[in-house]
Amino acid sequence: MQPGFDDNHTDDTFLQEMVMNANVVKRDMLKVMLDSVSISQYLCIVALVVLVWAHTLNSTITENFLIILDITLVGSGFFILLLTAKMLSFKLLLNYAIKISFFTTGLYVLSPIYHTLTRSISSDSIWALTTSLVILHLFLHNYSGSTIKAPGALENPNLTSNISLNASIVASLLIASRLPSRLLVFAIILFSLQVFLFAPLITYCLKKYSFRLHLLFSFVLMALTLTCVYRLHKLLFVVLLGLLVFVNLVCPYWLIRIQEYKFEINGPWDEAKLCFNITD
Amino acid sequence: MVSDFFYPNFGGVENHIYLLSQCLLKLGHKVVVMTHAYANRSGVRYMTNGLKVYYVPWKPFLMQNTLPTFYGTLPIIRTILIREKISLVHGHQAFSTLCHEALMHARTMGYKVIFTDHSLYGFSDIGSIHMNKVLQFTLADVTQAICVSHTSKENTVLRSGLPPEKVFVIPNAVDTTMFKPAPERLSMDPIVIVVISRLVYRKGADLLVEVIPEVCHLYPNVRFIIGGDGPKRVRLEEMREKHSLQDRVDMLGAVPHAKVRSVLNSGHIFLNSSLTEAFCIAILEAASCGLLTVSTRVGGVPEVLPDDMIVLAKPDPSDMVHAIKKAIRILPHIDPQEMHRRMKEMYSWHDVAKRTEIVYDRALRCSNQTLLERLPRYLTCGAWAGKLFCLVMIIDFILWRLLQLWQPDSEVEPVPDFKRTELKRG
Repeated sequence: MQPGFDDNHTDDTFLQEMVMNANVVKRDMLKVMLDSVSISQYLCIVALVVLVWAHTLNSTITENFLIILDITLVGSGFFILLLTAKMLSFKLLLNYAIKISFFTTGLYVLSPIYHTLTRSISSDSIWALTTSLVILHLFLHNYSGSTIKAPGALENPNLTSNISLNASIVASLLIASRLPSRLLVFAIILFSLQVFLFAPLITYCLKKYSFRLHLLFSFVLMALTLTCVYRLHKLLFVVLLGLLVFVNLVCPYWLIRIQEYKFEINGPWDEAKLCFNITD
Repeated sequence: MVSDFFYPNFGGVENHIYLLSQCLLKLGHKVVVMTHAYANRSGVRYMTNGLKVYYVPWKPFLMQNTLPTFYGTLPIIRTILIREKISLVHGHQAFSTLCHEALMHARTMGYKVIFTDHSLYGFSDIGSIHMNKVLQFTLADVTQAICVSHTSKENTVLRSGLPPEKVFVIPNAVDTTMFKPAPERLSMDPIVIVVISRLVYRKGADLLVEVIPEVCHLYPNVRFIIGGDGPKRVRLEEMREKHSLQDRVDMLGAVPHAKVRSVLNSGHIFLNSSLTEAFCIAILEAASCGLLTVSTRVGGVPEVLPDDMIVLAKPDPSDMVHAIKKAIRILPHIDPQEMHRRMKEMYSWHDVAKRTEIVYDRALRCSNQTLLERLPRYLTCGAWAGKLFCLVMIIDFILWRLLQLWQPDSEVEPVPDFKRTELKRG
């Protein structure tokens, strides 16, 4: 169309409107390491739950201890929520208390069913299934928020976090079905469900309230987990230690190393984004 | 010409291939089109002016594309190329698997190869990443490439890593003899705004839902005509009900191509709200019918029409309403016949064919290269991908040699040529 120019003429304005790496965030090593502490904190929580399961299956822990543990957990959970959440009224607390009591009663009534749930399945299949479910749970878990909506939180849970929650619940039911007495079944299910359902919520509220408290809590938890695992099994201790080092030190370094290769291209050829939400 | 997209399917690429082929036939060249079989249309057909179309008997498998069997198309393509004594293979549309395979086999057999890209693609979603890699493979060894706009050229060069000197920009054109304005000028009351497009997300149907009620509210004498069908039609109908615009917004449903001219001639302004467009032929058709165009400023649209024939807006409802206001204000100064005359001078398929001919000449003058000389070009595609692509080409070469042993070139019967003068008389 331009007279005097060849069709394959390329002049200075070629690719002038291209924008590179417009949305890329520059990452700082220390901040990434501090953020990765949430991941290792959750890893330690899950490790502690598995420890409790192992000890209960070995009959090292009695039912009374478990029930006391459950009540302590509920109490401390409420305490932390009261301390950290800003928009908590008495009515809401009463609502929570009623829901929890319904939940506990329901579990107690249903525990005979769980007791005989997997009687016909061999132990090896149960251990294998539980291990894979716990690994699936860790893989798909939403480490940045909480699947149960915290008061004042904005994000809705997505598909993968729901799948991970379901995996953890099924794993705890499977373990519980291997136990000898009904009260033990009830206690262990209550304990596992409390941790899996509410631990992300509690840690999220704690993190929002004070970052230093969150860091302190994480380190205490890591130390506690490592000592308990050491007493149980030396190889697992080494594996857990290696995993924590990998998550906290190696992964941030790796992430920052490969950030250099990020190459994002934007330009006039991009599809336009609508600035309003489509309401059907 | 090879592509998955051809008649009886309807669209921009199909139209482009058909009209370009017709103009090349008029210039005295021999053109053969190859595509896949449609519902019950399979085999060889002849179209106007002796355009031969091979509907190769494969059914489309996903979104009008044939199943990508890497080497399955080699025998049939070889047979067609030898029978018809082809000298150059021209593939269309990056999304067409048949095109990529045909270009690969043509290159193995030593023919010169040209590729035309008709659309814009992104870089970040998983579908685009795969497509760009396939495109990089095909374009690593293409002789020349054609794009339909400068924005499309930038996009193609970035996606495939081609040197910009190899890419020619030849815009699409419009058939100005078919799209003529109405003989008498329409009255200015009511002002009619025409929208003809597929009602999908990509074509900005959601923007229409926001813009139409606003414009109807501001200007009581404006009417809308919406032609076209698609998944978003339901939203437009709902919008019509909600604001009680049944008498001011007409929904015509799918408009066959032959009737597009009459729909355009019943309006004053053409509204195009697409979110991405390499080169918008709809705007050309509207301008050829003498309508003032209002469009979103995306992709290659700013390069299509001169500034006095089009009002551009950001893809944002308030900005588009503002642009429609401006268009209504300058509408009395527009002369449809003058616009049509200018379009006739600026855009013609014969011009496109001549420019394409220059590209073909350039391609034919390039030297022939053996397999060993061509392989280094594939190695630059990537650390792992380069070696994989080289392997694919080597296997293709071996298969071609085996095919030559089994059915030598001399055994394939060439097709007798039509005598052109007889066709011209008839």
